[in-house]
Amino acid sequence: MGNEASYPAEMCSHFDQDEIKRLGKRFKKLDLDKSGSLSVEEFLSMPELRYNPLLRRVIDIFDTDGSGEVDFKEFIVGASQFSVKGNEEQKLRFAFNIYDMDKDGYISNGELFQVLRMMVGSNLKDWQLQQLVDKTIIILDRDGDGKISFEEFSAVVRGLEIHKKLVLIV
Amino acid sequence: MFLLLPFDSLIVNLLGISLTVLFTLLLVFIIVPAIFGVSFGIRKLYMKTLLKIFAWATLRMQRGAKEKNHQLYKPYTNGIIAKDPTSLEEEIKEIRRSGSSKALDNTPDFELSDIFYFCRKGMETIMDDEVTKRFSAEELESWNLLSRTNYNFQYISLRLTVLWGLGVLIRYCFLLPLRIALAFTGISLLVVGTTMVGYVPHGRSMEFRWRGEFQMNCLTLMSVPLHTFLKPRKNRPRNGGICVANHTSPIDVIILASDGYYAMVGQVHGGLMGVIQRAMVKACPHVWFERSEVKDRHLVAKRLTEHVKDKSKLPILIFPEGTCINNTSVMMFKKGSFEIGATVYPVAIKYDPQFGDAFWNSSKYGMVTYLLRMMTSWAIVCSVWYLPPMTRETNEDAVQFANRVKSAIARQGGLVDLLWDGGLKREKVKDTFKEEQQKLYSKMIVGNHEDRSRS
Repeated sequence: MGNEASYPAEMCSHFDQDEIKRLGKRFKKLDLDKSGSLSVEEFLSMPELRYNPLLRRVIDIFDTDGSGEVDFKEFIVGASQFSVKGNEEQKLRFAFNIYDMDKDGYISNGELFQVLRMMVGSNLKDWQLQQLVDKTIIILDRDGDGKISFEEFSAVVRGLEIHKKLVLIV
Repeated sequence: MFLLLPFDSLIVNLLGISLTVLFTLLLVFIIVPAIFGVSFGIRKLYMKTLLKIFAWATLRMQRGAKEKNHQLYKPYTNGIIAKDPTSLEEEIKEIRRSGSSKALDNTPDFELSDIFYFCRKGMETIMDDEVTKRFSAEELESWNLLSRTNYNFQYISLRLTVLWGLGVLIRYCFLLPLRIALAFTGISLLVVGTTMVGYVPHGRSMEFRWRGEFQMNCLTLMSVPLHTFLKPRKNRPRNGGICVANHTSPIDVIILASDGYYAMVGQVHGGLMGVIQRAMVKACPHVWFERSEVKDRHLVAKRLTEHVKDKSKLPILIFPEGTCINNTSVMMFKKGSFEIGATVYPVAIKYDPQFGDAFWNSSKYGMVTYLLRMMTSWAIVCSVWYLPPMTRETNEDAVQFANRVKSAIARQGGLVDLLWDGGLKREKVKDTFKEEQQKLYSKMIVGNHEDRSRS
């Protein structure tokens, strides 16, 4: 892991040398078995993350090659989407990808249901959840295909100044 | 061969003489004054000199970094990201408010933007979480010339390296043997002395005081390599009370017990610690538990209550965190000692990390390695504050009382007050926390069950 210095050129991230070094240290600390990549178990070793019902989705977004673990490059690229220097498009994409589980560019009824289910646990019955999902899709689905595309998503969410909400200052 | 013989005996003689001299010096200059509480002021001078050297070293490193034209890597002690603490409800409401033009009504509803809160919280924790960093040594802002605290060693200047080398020499060749000798003397005295005291038959009730005093003197010896600043002499724990303090290392015990008489509570250890524990029990009644008994909380509470009720027995010293934390924060206090109903005397202990890090990372270092690290640091400097006694109020339960005491200690020592359990060092957190968050969020999107059925 000593060759972090060579990463910035390849990685098109928004971080400078100093920040990458800091993140590198953090990565090493999280990588308990020194395998060079972070497994779900290693993420879960942080007690505060267990609070977070969307953890699996976030890890899934980081893991761009679908290996099931997050290596250092994916870590930096993932974190970079939260950087202050990131643009609005990138952040909207990140949020969209939380819902879009199969990465096909559309949020289907089933996907929205599953993500909502993660957030509420067992506190709502299926029919209550389904009602909410159907209502949301009806309101947001402009072209009537029964799914929410990235454009439809952005239309709703864009005005919320997301670039201020999804930001981490390293 | 004949020439070697007189040479041999010469060396042996020299060794013998130097050892005798060392011990005499030790006795005269360190041990005797320590027992009588007299100080020559050598320590203060030592510390002042060290501070000046550290300041010079930092300046030199900054200048060196500027010359080479790059930033000096500074580990942020407060974590690598800027966070502001908000609750789930507040933040989700704020996100929704900024989007919709509706008036701020509290109708429960779901918005696509609700995930932002969880995303950001998750990212923040991945980058820097509050809990796991308490279980490893604190990072210093400026280097204190120990290679173990060096995060950015690059060759800056010859002078700095020479200084570091000199430091190594002084610490390993002078301070280390001195401290080992002192520790050895102290421990032997403790073991031998308490065994002898144990043979004295139990008589009147006042006797615990003198036994306690004897114990205190032995421990004072062991604490000589440590430099302690003690704050006001009032608020000392009295018989029938419980003294609680934050826990950073086994040295806490030596520091407190060399300044007052206590009965200790703790788990039975093996090895050197076990020998010391068994020796101490011979002189005064301490409460040592077997590991299996610790799980039986009623038994623990019963023994503590019995001890506390007996006014002739010494006040109990207990560390409610249950494990060593790295002295930047105070973690959850276990409520067992707060249920008993005795007066609690809180004590705050804060180490100055510049001279040496006292935190015992028991998953990384064993006892002997830890002691060696302690003895080869510059010094262990700590401040101890005795806080006014607290009792449980009528309308609060043990947990609230424990939290109140914890906040008082954290505030005095300048430590972060955390609600997390120190046991998380070794165990995983329960899933009930996640379930609570989920419940909270569900309420936001569908309201209470009654509202739903009405609409």
